Amino acid sequence: MPAAVFILHLDEMQGFVVEKRFPSTFSLNERILNLVYYGHHEQPGQEVQLHNIDGRRIVTFGTQARPDWLACFVLSDETDFGPNKEVFAGMGRLMLELAAEDPKLVDVGEIVRRRQVIPAPSQEQRCAATFTSPSSTLVLERLEELGLERSARLAIWLRDEIHAQDVNLADAVRPLMDAEIVAVEMFQKTTEVVYLLADVFAYRAPPVEALRYAEENMPDVAEQYAQLVKEFFSPDPPAKGYNPTIPVDDPNSPIVEDRRTIAGLLTKSLLYTVIRYLRERPQTASEISQTSILPERIVNRSLWELETERVAARLDDGMWVLVTDPRIEVFMPEFVLPIVARRVSEKEIGAELGKRYLELLTEKWSESR
Amino acid sequence: MIRGIYILNDTSLVYSKDYSESELTAELVRFLVSLSEFVKHVDIGEDIEHMDIGPWRLFYTKRDRFTFVALADKADDIAQINERLSQLVNVFMREFANLALTNQPLVGLDEKVDEIAVTMVKVAILGYAGVGKTTTLHLLRGETLPLIHDPTIGVSIKKLPEEVENANIVLWDLAGQSRFSILWAKMIANAQVVIIVTDSTLENVLRSKKLVSLVKEEVPDAKIIGIANKQDLPTALTAERVGQILGIPTYELVAIDISYRDRLIQIIRKAILEGKRESKSASGSSSSSASASQ
Repeated sequence: MPAAVFILHLDEMQGFVVEKRFPSTFSLNERILNLVYYGHHEQPGQEVQLHNIDGRRIVTFGTQARPDWLACFVLSDETDFGPNKEVFAGMGRLMLELAAEDPKLVDVGEIVRRRQVIPAPSQEQRCAATFTSPSSTLVLERLEELGLERSARLAIWLRDEIHAQDVNLADAVRPLMDAEIVAVEMFQKTTEVVYLLADVFAYRAPPVEALRYAEENMPDVAEQYAQLVKEFFSPDPPAKGYNPTIPVDDPNSPIVEDRRTIAGLLTKSLLYTVIRYLRERPQTASEISQTSILPERIVNRSLWELETERVAARLDDGMWVLVTDPRIEVFMPEFVLPIVARRVSEKEIGAELGKRYLELLTEKWSESR
Repeated sequence: MIRGIYILNDTSLVYSKDYSESELTAELVRFLVSLSEFVKHVDIGEDIEHMDIGPWRLFYTKRDRFTFVALADKADDIAQINERLSQLVNVFMREFANLALTNQPLVGLDEKVDEIAVTMVKVAILGYAGVGKTTTLHLLRGETLPLIHDPTIGVSIKKLPEEVENANIVLWDLAGQSRFSILWAKMIANAQVVIIVTDSTLENVLRSKKLVSLVKEEVPDAKIIGIANKQDLPTALTAERVGQILGIPTYELVAIDISYRDRLIQIIRKAILEGKRESKSASGSSSSSASASQ
């Protein structure tokens, strides 16, 4: 248990604002706020950090997405940082997500007492993040055509593609690396190469688990729920249901335009939390709020947003259900192997490079993993 | 502070001005359109209502077909924002309503809005360690100067006791030590005026040229003022020479001499006014008027 917690916000006009503190009697001064804020930003990229400030051990949590916010935990003497690092990160993540909506919604004491967390982004969230950055999406599409490419050539291609001189390939590639979709490594100490290790597919799946739960345990809602899902995926003719297997170059394909929507929903932690609960079974907003620890106002707002995107729906008795389950699947990009083989035979890339690519693919997709 | 002003004619946005960057602008505009639709059907008379939205407070009122909205901080004084919005409504209805109704450009509205809505001006004080930034801050606040040099940690943020040009001045005194320089660019964001303080030695002035470049790159719209401090020392370069090297208007100062206070405040006032004039001429050729926002 930390001895005290505070949420710090750097307002670009008013400076440091302590948005929340617990306990309310905990006192802070400008010097501590400065040392905390500057200390955290001295090690960019590390979300959770431990600082020793004026004899106090203070854990800070901040994200690149919200650089002006920090959740800070002042450790008590008996609390260790190491074993609790993930808990601090999770609590910090939850506090900052809620604070960004409205600092009033953050019940710091309750979060700490119940050790409530938002876990680190899951694999599907990390994959989804690649579709929220246009540059990353472009790089992925390029690698789907080539399999692998030298960083320098990829950077030039990207610059031409988006008509910007100051494009940073590293920024575009980082989300893809975080999601383990690409690997970047030096080849023969002279050339940096980006390899496509996995491809991703965003689509809406039928909410099988929740439907099954409703059939087995909630007979009063099961029929209406099943009907809603049927209307989306397989409506009565002549209407056409959702079919993610239509090729992306077909004008009727639902995939391309929907991909960003799906990615957007999965990357927002609060929405994702609500989706995860609805994947299990139909629930009321109040039930989700109680089990997920999110304030009911946030749950309701999330549900309305999901309803707008045809992910969730409200049944007659106030029960919320998942109608479509936004998913991101990762699979082996075997379709690029003939392309890489051709590039090797045409001496566009060396045989050693092709061989290295195969090794990396084998490493990633071998059964032992 | 007022973060944004929005005026809608029924459900179309005829004017908008944001005073701080927001990633939520598109979402907010969608909300405002719904709000305008809503107030059409609810009789709120000429009252100014407010509601809390996330971390902000939204003030709104209606006259004829127009809905006026001010986005402010929750910490702001409600009476003050009500008064400013009320002034804005009166000015708009008197001078711009007919133009908006006939889709004419709202020439001159931007400057009126600035006069009314700018409740806070950020002035950043930047310079290397030991040049007298914090002493300058104390001078501006009319405070007794500390006898011992106590280097600033990070950033020290204080308000000027008096309003300048109808706005509160928030002074950001940035630590000059190199360990704190990592966040200079971030800390000067959204500053309307940046004061670059030098100790008037050749070495320091030459180094400070980097700061001028940094400010020009990070806050291109800010007015930059050079300060040739420590003019009481025999090695001091003249303000004119410092200005030539830095390439910005530069003024002499002895920050430990209280008689310089009024002069310095006048310099800041002038910079604010020049900044406003420049933003007016820039906005005159850009978009924040009726025809473009519709």
